[in-house]
Amino acid sequence: MPAIPIIMPQLGESIAEATIINLLVKPGDLVVTDQDLMEVETNKATMNVASPCPGRVSKVLAKVNESYPVGAVLGYLEASVEDAERLGLSETTATTAPDFGHGAEPQHAPEHEKPRQVVKPTVRGLPVPVNAAGASYMSPRMKARMLELGLHAADLAGLPGSGAAGRVTIKDFEYFIANLEQHKLTQASSMRVAVADAMRRSWTRPLATVALPVCFDPLLAHRKTCQPKPGPALYALRALALALAENSAPAGRLIGSHIVHPSSIDVGFAVEAPEGVLVPVIRQANEKPLKVLVERYDELIRLAHQRKLPGDATGGSIATVTNFGTFGLTWATPIPLPEQTIVLGMGAARRVPSWDDAQGQFVPVMEANVTLSFDHRVLDGGAAGRLLARVAQLLATPTEL
Amino acid sequence: MAPVDAVIAIEKVSVKAFRLMLLARMLDDKFASLYRMGKIHGGVFLGRGQEALSVASGLSLRPGDLFAPLIRDTAGRLAFGEDLVDAVRTYLGSGLGPMRGRDGNVHRGEPRKGVYAMISHLGAMISVINGGLMAHRFTGKTGSVGLASMGDGATSTGAFHEGLNQAAVERLPLVLVVANNCYAYSTPNDRQFACKTLLARAAGYGVEGVEFDGTDLEESLDKVNGAVQRARAGGGPQLVIANLLRLCGHGEHDDASYVDADLKSSAVGRDCLKVAEDQLRQEGLLTPETLTQWREEAARDIENVVAQVQREPGPDPYQEDWSALATKSLVETQWPS
Amino acid sequence: MVITYLEAIRAAQAAALRDDKRVFIYGQDVGVFGGAFKATKNLAQEFPGRVIDSPISEDAMIGMAVGAAVSGMRPILEVQFADFSTLALNQIVNQAATHYWRTGVPCPITVRLPSGGTSGSGPFHSQSMEALYAHYPGLVVMAPATVQDAYEMLLAAVAIDDPVIYCEHKYLYYHLKADDLFTEPPVPVGKARIARAGRDLSIVTYSAMVHEALAVADELAKEKIEIEVVDLRTVKPLDTDSIVASVSRTGRLLCVGEAFPWGGVTAEVVARVASEGFNLLDAPPMRLNAKDTPVPYHPNLWAAHRPTARSIADAARRLLRM
Repeated sequence: MPAIPIIMPQLGESIAEATIINLLVKPGDLVVTDQDLMEVETNKATMNVASPCPGRVSKVLAKVNESYPVGAVLGYLEASVEDAERLGLSETTATTAPDFGHGAEPQHAPEHEKPRQVVKPTVRGLPVPVNAAGASYMSPRMKARMLELGLHAADLAGLPGSGAAGRVTIKDFEYFIANLEQHKLTQASSMRVAVADAMRRSWTRPLATVALPVCFDPLLAHRKTCQPKPGPALYALRALALALAENSAPAGRLIGSHIVHPSSIDVGFAVEAPEGVLVPVIRQANEKPLKVLVERYDELIRLAHQRKLPGDATGGSIATVTNFGTFGLTWATPIPLPEQTIVLGMGAARRVPSWDDAQGQFVPVMEANVTLSFDHRVLDGGAAGRLLARVAQLLATPTEL
Repeated sequence: MAPVDAVIAIEKVSVKAFRLMLLARMLDDKFASLYRMGKIHGGVFLGRGQEALSVASGLSLRPGDLFAPLIRDTAGRLAFGEDLVDAVRTYLGSGLGPMRGRDGNVHRGEPRKGVYAMISHLGAMISVINGGLMAHRFTGKTGSVGLASMGDGATSTGAFHEGLNQAAVERLPLVLVVANNCYAYSTPNDRQFACKTLLARAAGYGVEGVEFDGTDLEESLDKVNGAVQRARAGGGPQLVIANLLRLCGHGEHDDASYVDADLKSSAVGRDCLKVAEDQLRQEGLLTPETLTQWREEAARDIENVVAQVQREPGPDPYQEDWSALATKSLVETQWPS
Repeated sequence: MVITYLEAIRAAQAAALRDDKRVFIYGQDVGVFGGAFKATKNLAQEFPGRVIDSPISEDAMIGMAVGAAVSGMRPILEVQFADFSTLALNQIVNQAATHYWRTGVPCPITVRLPSGGTSGSGPFHSQSMEALYAHYPGLVVMAPATVQDAYEMLLAAVAIDDPVIYCEHKYLYYHLKADDLFTEPPVPVGKARIARAGRDLSIVTYSAMVHEALAVADELAKEKIEIEVVDLRTVKPLDTDSIVASVSRTGRLLCVGEAFPWGGVTAEVVARVASEGFNLLDAPPMRLNAKDTPVPYHPNLWAAHRPTARSIADAARRLLRM
């Protein structure tokens, strides 16, 4: 026997619920079509809920003095299959009667028709860039066109704009692009493009550099005693790792209002490869002594030159060492990788006069500049200087590395 | 002198009218039941107590005439030829009904058959009837009339004034049937108008008027038909005022607790269906057996139609074309959905 | 031959009455008097019984037209001033606009609204109502700017199976003249017209403001600035494709309307360009409307209230400097 629900009717245009004030039937009662089953009260009037078909009351769910929303099931009738069928009251049709008129969503909506999630705005609307000053302002059309051509703001650095406060208008831009055709154009390698992308991202931060001349005589002397010989950059890498193991905060990253501390002292080093630079990583460089690291270091340089670095030797490092001294350079301000806060640089060692207090005269020493470039949002000059001084101190006693 | 085809055998008509009143009353009761079963999404508005007047309106018209029924005209609609299934489909929102689920309950019509689909704004249908009658005039269609139903409340609107005045100026065959049922929703006559009787308005517009007891079927048939015949014969607009009492709430959400008990027990509070039944019995046109038989027939017809419509699917929002223009080339397609 | 905008409207009505027996004209003073603006001059005499004076009953005027239209007629209504159409708002937006959708029976009425400001007309004889009607589903809203459009679009309005709100500009009645009714290839209803091509800035507008925009284009052309003027012709449907195409050529949008500033046609245009042509914009989309007060009476105030060639040129220059 089909169980036909007794439904709280819509008893007025704005009525959302009604209160049961009297039950006129009880379970087991036989009822006829249109018979009053319950008395209900809305804030507008008192009226009755009627029986949809003949049958026996099987269940009364509604309680007197309780309120129920429109459409709520107040009880069930047992009806004959024939009556249910004839009146279109089979259990399924009765319970899924669509109710589009009261704000309900249609059921069985196709997936793509489902209402979208409503995103609550977190700000009171976006600023409208009327009178936005400077070449930094890019119109939606400029942004879209540059995206289409794979260009970045930096590519337009040399382009004077004719718009408000010198901003580049779409006309300026299209003229510039059209004019490029008149110059010799070569294809940049994918490596070059990738490095450019990393540099652009790095450059979004305020970067500063501190430097310290360091006497390399102990390091060079130690190096002569080793077989195989560690590269000068490896000394710096190991010194930096030990310094960071003592205090890893300077290698932390600033994300919003949080400092994200490094979880492992993994340090990378820059290796020049054809068309660009690769940065192999030595994991937990603070845990292994220099002589153990040499072999891995040399292997990674070889693999980098072949551009065959294994996955576990790329990415995820917290700082980088770069030996610009390789090129005979004595001074540079390297740029930290976009995901790192610091980069340690080493210049070429030169023999320079150094005042020796004990001897009371200048003596020749091998000296190189060691630089630390850093994200000034995370570190101040003092913190950077202390880290660099500690690295220099460690480099002075290479046997301990 | 009325034309020959207007002479009606009153006995035959009153029997037909009574059966239609009975059918309308039982259909309305069914709508009320369906409402209380939660089967009707919007409101339900009954013609209880107004069937005599309404049926007189519907029966006084003939094919080719125009009819703008209002909310209490189940009887008149049936009398003018509305199919039961159209009424039920509209109430239940069936996609197969004349309004296809786009509009519901009493907001139904078939303009091509001369029945305009009312909007909720009272008095607004008068000028629309006038327009239909102007169309008849332009196209040389003579002898037709237009009948607009309304209540006492609608007589207070600007549209009533504009519409009746317009018909009078154009001398259109408009019959304006006002069911003065004592209340506009809950507002009694003394808060609705200050003239002694609404009939007084006829003179102000320069039209003919008639006032009578709307609880009396034979009186209603006689007076409404008379007005229709006068309009048809070129007598210009006719204002018909029928006094009666709404024997139900404004809608089924309203228990009408505000209705004055004295009014209910007065002559105006008589149930026109009972009055008609007594009239037919006295005239020997009705026996208890025939009444039972007519009731059973009406109940069966209603049950069958309701059962059929309840099995019909509701309109499908994904099949709906969601365009309000007949000119599809001008429908804007830019809206994000 | 020289023909005015008003004469084009009269000629279109004469042609409609002549060619289509279903057409009649109804409105206050439209009969023998020929209308408050003479838009129906001599038509009552030429077409006896088909150009009918109405009582001062805007609601009943439109209601009557609805009844006639759904019974097969093609009425043209003249509301004496667009401002007075608020008295018929119910019949327009609830009766006419919903009729086809509710019943499946079309309601082909044409409601002529003498619109827009002329100096000295004040708050109740100057309004531009197009946005109000465009808001409602089921209506077509036209705002012709040229003599040819005044003629062709009015005939189209009568032919269309839907209620059409035909906003004719009172200032153009006598001020706008053409050598001939037909000077340009016809444009279908619902399509905008490029009134002047350009590549620096799109001014999207309609009705009388088209001519102000064209004057601005002339003036700025002396400074080698090329302005494209888009004449919407119908504000509903709004020809978004043509607007976006114009902005794709110029990258800059200034939408000008004579109506009040809150919401409305210009806001709709800006909204659509912002959502569908965002990546085409090289500057913020701008709009210029009348001020947010009733239309003032004195010519000094009136001229400052509505957009003019001068204020449009200022706005265009401001936008071009961005």
